[in-house]
Amino acid sequence: MSQSQTTLKSVDCETVSKTFYDVVIVGAGVAGSIVAKQLSEQGKTVLILEAGTGKSLTLEGFQSHVETFYGAVDKNPNAPYPLNPNALSPTDGANGYFEEKGPLPLSGSYTRVLGGTTMHWEGKTIRMLPEDFELRTRYGHGLDWPISYKDIQPYYRKAEYEIGVSGNTEEQKGLGVTFMDGYVLPMLELPPSYLDQKVSEKIHGTTVEIEGETIKLDLSTFPQGRNSIPNPDYKKYNDGDDFIPQGVGSVEPVEYGERCQGNANCVPICPVQAKYDARKTLNRIAFPERVHILPQAVAYKVEVDPANGRVTAIHYKRYQDKNSPEHTLGIAKGTLFVLATNAVENAKLMLASELPSTSGLMGCHLMDHPFLLAWALMPEVTGTMRGPLVTSGISTFRKGAFRKKQSAFAVDIHNDGWGWSGTGATDVVRDAVDNKHKYGAELRQELISKISRQLLLAFMCELPADPSNRVTIDAQYKDQLGNYRPVIHFDVADYCKNTFAYARKLSQTIFQRLGAEDHTKYDKRDQDGNLDPAYFEYQGESYWFRGGNHFSGTHVMGTTKNNSVVDQNLRSWDHENLYLVGAGSMPSIGSSNTTLTLAALSFKSSEQMLRDLKS
Amino acid sequence: MNIQVWFRWLYAALWRIFSGGQPIMNLDQSEMKEYFLDFSVALTGFSKFNLLGTGQADLYYSTIEQNIGNELLQELLQTFHNLDLKAKSANDQSILDKGISFDILDSKKFGAIACNIIKLWYVATWYPIPQTGQDSNSQKPFIVSPQAYPEGLLWSAIGVNPPAAKAPGYGTWSEKPSVTLS
Repeated sequence: MSQSQTTLKSVDCETVSKTFYDVVIVGAGVAGSIVAKQLSEQGKTVLILEAGTGKSLTLEGFQSHVETFYGAVDKNPNAPYPLNPNALSPTDGANGYFEEKGPLPLSGSYTRVLGGTTMHWEGKTIRMLPEDFELRTRYGHGLDWPISYKDIQPYYRKAEYEIGVSGNTEEQKGLGVTFMDGYVLPMLELPPSYLDQKVSEKIHGTTVEIEGETIKLDLSTFPQGRNSIPNPDYKKYNDGDDFIPQGVGSVEPVEYGERCQGNANCVPICPVQAKYDARKTLNRIAFPERVHILPQAVAYKVEVDPANGRVTAIHYKRYQDKNSPEHTLGIAKGTLFVLATNAVENAKLMLASELPSTSGLMGCHLMDHPFLLAWALMPEVTGTMRGPLVTSGISTFRKGAFRKKQSAFAVDIHNDGWGWSGTGATDVVRDAVDNKHKYGAELRQELISKISRQLLLAFMCELPADPSNRVTIDAQYKDQLGNYRPVIHFDVADYCKNTFAYARKLSQTIFQRLGAEDHTKYDKRDQDGNLDPAYFEYQGESYWFRGGNHFSGTHVMGTTKNNSVVDQNLRSWDHENLYLVGAGSMPSIGSSNTTLTLAALSFKSSEQMLRDLKS
Repeated sequence: MNIQVWFRWLYAALWRIFSGGQPIMNLDQSEMKEYFLDFSVALTGFSKFNLLGTGQADLYYSTIEQNIGNELLQELLQTFHNLDLKAKSANDQSILDKGISFDILDSKKFGAIACNIIKLWYVATWYPIPQTGQDSNSQKPFIVSPQAYPEGLLWSAIGVNPPAAKAPGYGTWSEKPSVTLS
């Protein structure tokens, strides 16, 4: 990995209109950036159309995002990125970008800026388990992949190098992940937090039953796309050299970044850029002159030759001012076309282009990881709100025969306290001051008592592909640029609700073991009396869940044009020069955050694109 | 108590008697800022040294003044100052503690403002106060400046860095917390 910084060329519409590219990519997120890098390194010319403003590529632009975050009262997942009405980013329902048709909300967020959602992702990089690729065959739920874990394994290694993953392969092996003999991740695992250690002390070795199986409650660290200490044993996978962590993602090198410094703010922005984001891939492109970027260009139509189904152009709207709907129209042409705008936007763009695919599955099989949260106060001060948002968790429920009856899940131990469940540190201050009239030394003690002991468990549950969970479009729902907003139909199957019910009971067992005060309560309405759209009752109990932002499945890969949208290399069955990359191609997501797998698929897909361009 | 302080206390007390309980309204700005800092020390539980160290005292002072008006602020600060003098003259801290609780935090006039001053120091955010003419429905809370956010006292109070600023360094999160419950 080179430390040198490069500058990609931002171009204007005129240049784009006069150029015929080898590849036109829509979206400068992790998938699009990997494709751009892989293809340009093989001598291909690339255009990336980016809907966002492209500000973050410079250090100054990046710093402005940090400052915007500092100044935001609501520090939500998109707080660093100014609202862009021409390319809205869904933010947990806040700006109404998703038209949610229910019965339950998809909610969640993604970020339409240069770098995509890796600008705000948390950074967990967990491989899927071999059995996750055969969900239908083994457990009778969702869909199988047309490829196996073995087929994707070499691409996982490429993705782990590209992202710069810190983690412990021995621990992962114990959880059912397989690696080639002797393989280690580029960097050592991030040290577990003090909170992790305190939880582990009390629950280590505890066993629980699930559908007749006995499972241990051991903690393990999560692999993460965040810089730690390079693993000396990684040399053999790096031509004999030590792995050099990539520091900054912005151009103009400065002497900061590199290792995680414990800013406790992985989401929504790591101020020292120790966390991977797609700008690191873009700025490591060895031949930047081969890659053009056109920011502020929102793709709205994929043009197809009806005679042979081949894509002939991408139509886009170019705006100058994000607050004004004024725009000009443009066309980008090339040999291959790659949609890399994420699962929701890819499907939306295809449907807007009246290209539902032969299978009719465009937009269907929308998946996410719904999260059930449980929160408590530890019996002692654990120093909550320090370190990366999550360092450890319980990953022993990722596999097992119980997956026939209920979905797999993984448990995060949140180092950042109860913010996600609705009581962030600021809320505790407001309660202590406004309602309890605490001040002075007593206030300080109250805050330590109510914040520094917080424990939040987040149960990330698998939700298998279901064709009725889907992204559609409707002419009634458009943004100010006249582009469609996604219409979402979403529900959580009983298969997953069974896991919520199990997870809630498990949290009670864990809190009891820890001697922690359980404060979990799933209220139907928020403090202002508004109904929580994610509230539901199941088997006589109340719950709500939170969206996991792992949107996937909307242009699913499969074995034929009748059961899927793309083939195993993410090439459209209907349009032979069109690729739909990203998590939208994944038939199942197991209990793994999707970015590492979609990055691996992007490497696999790039190889097929190069083969196409040769022929 | 030195003679000067005693005289000032006497003057203030007499003024209160003869003006029907209305406090003195002739503070100059440097006095007001001094009272503001003393008041902030009592409210926040942080020393004057810590408060000045945030570099935000002037900004907070002007934010409060702009939002509630000079007169009300003077009145509040004078009320605090009188309590402070009284406590000092009697050498009895409980006078100040009770005064802050009953005469200020529980007071209809000053309660919400004092709470806002605490929140300003702790989370750098100003929240609308309905009774000062601010319409809490149309007005929204705001962070007084991006640079003030990392200076919030909340983070030092719980022994952590403000999220996204002043990072403590690699691996520090594994160590024992620096704060304790007494």
